Order: sequence, then C-alpha cells, then structure tokens
Amino acid sequence: MEIFQQLTFLERGIAAGLLIGFISPLIGAFLLVRRMTIISEGLSHVTLTGITAGVLMMQTSAFFAFINPLYTGLLAALAGSLLIEKLRQVYKHFQELAIPIILSAGVGLSAVMISIAETGYTEWYAYLFGSILTVTLNDLLFIFLTGVLSMLIIGFFYKELLSISFDQEFASTSGISVRKINFLFSLLVALVISMSMKVVGILLVGALITLPVAAAILFAKSFRHVLLLGIIFGEAAVLGGIVSSYYLNVATGGMIVVTGIIILMGAAAVKKLLPEGFFSKEETV
Amino acid sequence: MIEVFFQYDFLRYSLFTGILIGILAPLTGVFIVVRRLSLLADALSHITLTGIAFSLLLGRYINFFAVLNPVYMGMIFAAGGSLLIERLRHTYRFYRELAIPIILSSGIGVGVVFISLADGFTTDLFSYLFGSIAAISSTDFTVVLVLTTVVVAIFGLFYKELFFLSFDEEQAVISGIPRRSLHFLFILITAVVIGISMQIVGILLVSALMTLPVAAAMRLAVSFKQMFLYSVVIGEVSVLTGMFAAFHLDVAPGGMIVVINVLILLIVLAATSEKIVNRKGG
Repeated sequence: MEIFQQLTFLERGIAAGLLIGFISPLIGAFLLVRRMTIISEGLSHVTLTGITAGVLMMQTSAFFAFINPLYTGLLAALAGSLLIEKLRQVYKHFQELAIPIILSAGVGLSAVMISIAETGYTEWYAYLFGSILTVTLNDLLFIFLTGVLSMLIIGFFYKELLSISFDQEFASTSGISVRKINFLFSLLVALVISMSMKVVGILLVGALITLPVAAAILFAKSFRHVLLLGIIFGEAAVLGGIVSSYYLNVATGGMIVVTGIIILMGAAAVKKLLPEGFFSKEETV
Repeated sequence: MIEVFFQYDFLRYSLFTGILIGILAPLTGVFIVVRRLSLLADALSHITLTGIAFSLLLGRYINFFAVLNPVYMGMIFAAGGSLLIERLRHTYRFYRELAIPIILSSGIGVGVVFISLADGFTTDLFSYLFGSIAAISSTDFTVVLVLTTVVVAIFGLFYKELFFLSFDEEQAVISGIPRRSLHFLFILITAVVIGISMQIVGILLVSALMTLPVAAAMRLAVSFKQMFLYSVVIGEVSVLTGMFAAFHLDVAPGGMIVVINVLILLIVLAATSEKIVNRKGG
C-alpha cells in the first residue's frame, strides 16, 4: 500500500498500464483459441452501462455516493456475460446474434443515462477513451487487486482452462465441469475489462485484448509462445502508447491501440519477409 | 407534441430522415442477420468513426473538408474497412473471426488519435457517437433521399440473387450468381446505410437499429417476406417514438431509439417463449 501512495500521478498511470499490458493478452490468448475474441467487445460495451449507472446513482442519492463506478461496471460485465449465454440459447440457429444484441443494448442504455447524468463531457471521454492522468490511488488499488485475482484464477485453473479451450468434449469427459469453468472464464473476462478500462478506455479495451495475441499467433508455435509473445507485445504497446501520447499530446488509449496496430503490421511484414519455417527452428528453444 | 417537428426546418428534416432510416436500416439488417454478418455491421460502424475523425482533422487544414459533411468520409472508410476485413480473413486463415475485433478496435483507436489531434473532444463528438436530433440540413436530406432511393432500388433489382445467396450459397454460386461482386455491392450498401443512419442514431448505435428489429421480427415471422415487414414496422416504431421521446426528455436520440427497440425485443421474446418448445426455435 505504502509503495502506491508514494507514486506521482504519472507513475501511477504507468504502473496501471504495465499491469494491464500483462493481463489483457493473457486473457486474449484464451479467448483467441476459444474463438471468442469478439466477446471482449460485447462485454466492454456493457461495462459502459454499469459505469453510467454507477455515476448516475452517485449523483442521485447520497446513499450511493461511496460507489466507485468501476465496481458497477464490473457487475454489469458479469451480468452481460450471463445474458449472452442466455441469448445464445434463445437464438439457437443464430448464436452470433447474441453479442450484437448485448453490445447495442448496452450502449443504448448508457447513451440515455449519459444524457440524464449531469456530468461534464470530459469525464465521459475519459471513460470511453481512457486517460492515464485520471488514475487515482483507489483505481490503481482496484487494478492491482483485480489483476492479482485474475492471475490467481488463471494459475489455479490453468489446466482446466486450457483443456476446455482446446477440446471441450474431452474436458467434460475427463470430469471437468464445463459450466463452472466457463462461468469462471466469464468472470475473468469481466475482471480484465473493468481493470483495463480506466487506462485504455471502454471502447479500446478490446484492442488490448486482441491486437497483441493477433500479432503473437503469427509466430507462435505453441500456446505458451502465444502467452509469452502476447505479453511482450502487450507491454510494448502500452509503454509505446504512453510515451508517444505524452510527447504528441494525444489521447493515451488511442496511442496504445495505434502502437498495437503498428506492432501487428510489423509482425505481419516480418512474417512475410522471412522464409517459411524460420521460426520453427528458432522458437523451439 | 408532434407539431414541434414541423415548426422548425432542422427538426422536420431530421424527422423525415428518421422515417427513411426506420425503413432502410432494418431492411439492410434482415440480409445482414440472415447472412450471419451482424458483427460486420458493428465493425463497419466503428470504422465510420475513424473516417469522421479523419474528415474533422482534414477540415482544420483544408477548407473543402471543413464544409463537407464528415459522414461521407465515414462511408468511404467503412467501405475501405470492409476490404481490410476480407484481407485479414485471408491472413488469419485459421482464425477468421479475429478480423472483426481487430478492425473494430483499431478503427476506434485510430479515430481517437485523429480526434485528439483535431482537438475534437467536444460536444460534437457526443452527437456523432450517440446521435443527434438536429443534425440534418436540407442538402443532407436531399443526399439521404437520393441514397435511400438508390439502395431500395438495388435491393429490388437484386432481391432474388441476395435471397438465394443468403440461404444457399453453394447452390447460388453453381447457378452462376457472381458471389464476390454481389457481396461487395452488399457491403457497399451497408456502409452507405450506416453513414446515413448514424447522423441520427450515432455511430455506436447504428448496428442496433440493424440487428434488434430483425432479432425481434425473427421470432414472429414465418416467412422471409414477413420478416422484412415486421422488421421495418418495429424499426419505424422505435425510431419515431425514440425521436419524440428524445426531443421531449432531452436525451440522446440514438439511446432512446435503442432502448425502445430493446423493450420491443424483450416483449417479443416473452410473448414467444412458449413457441420455442413447439417450433424448436424455427
């Protein structure tokens, strides 16, 4: 705790960024192999609904004044992930409809609540597009705790998560409760989205989850490589984004994503230039 | 209540545009949903933001873009984005579904950088994101009217081909339907419809107007034609009530339209929940 208190606001932002750059690609790798990367977009948009609801509650009644909108955002993301499952059952033949429905319903509700709440536009832009300058001590604590919690969940259930991701049928026959692990997984995604939101912004969380692993998968020969490279690319995107946004004086979240895109394009170019099989020799070490 | 919309020019044009959008978006939406492209609409609408931001940025330096409605640049970007998605699908042959989240989040990311370079974090951006009820000028309306006519005409001309392609792609290709060019035409239409609709509903909510009415209509309709009819009726009802409510309650019209759409969807889902058992979700 004391270590956090000594940090300046810029250092707090960077610390938060580094934590997020580590955990987002970690979740991203699991989402990638489960072919569910799009769920991060759906849930992040729902998180916005939770945040706006939190801000609105804070304003309307003193009883809720202590609420940190990050927590209501987390709750909304959790509810959203359950709703998506439900909708998938309702639209059995059009399962891919679930995410657009949740995504747009989430944004629609938020838009109405944003109009009602008497909060300045700048504050909303910080939620939408991120801003490392607004990371408070409490936020950093929230990011740290949710980060540790998600690391613990991944650590404890690594094998189960892995086997469900690659072969759900095999996992269930070998006695893993697919339902429970899936719920745990939704919880993880919701945690990561709400922790990243403050730095990269709700509309850009998905980028930090997807872009680094998308670059990593071009080279990786195993799942561990995806994790490792994804984390390296993720941290590079966060650091590069923070530094360049500081010098160019543009929104941090945007610059983080742009750095991520540059890394992805670079990776694709390198992959094209190098002869086939170049990495299979190098990376087996 | 309704008179206000005829008193002022800008409100009247918004109302007319709203009526057109209520037809156009669900109409396109039916094909989008049936062809399982509903996520594509989300990606394209997000990349429209990049185009709008780019146009705003150019407007600071070049006079021509300062007067031009940024929506047109948005449409161009959306069309370009769809080409990029195709390209990415090719790159990630084993993870095709990655293309959409990559484009979706990159679109917003690049857009945000453009916006902050243009010092555009103002109230205007909010109306681009969540819609505005007073954004339509008479020239804009003329363009909307022309584009709507063109889009509806294309749908009329290629109805059979699109219908065929949506339900049995293989058979359609074998019987000589040019799948690639038709697909491209369809994406182009989607980009245009997103551009038109976003002026009132906002970028983040355009895809809602394309998917939600169709999702509700799907539960009710027993034929493809009925699905069109129900979608357009639901879309129209939600646009009009949403616009009136937004004006009188002073909230973002896009938000109100979507909330009403969600309510309609919930009612439909509740009413048809018994049918699921009988018809197995047919």
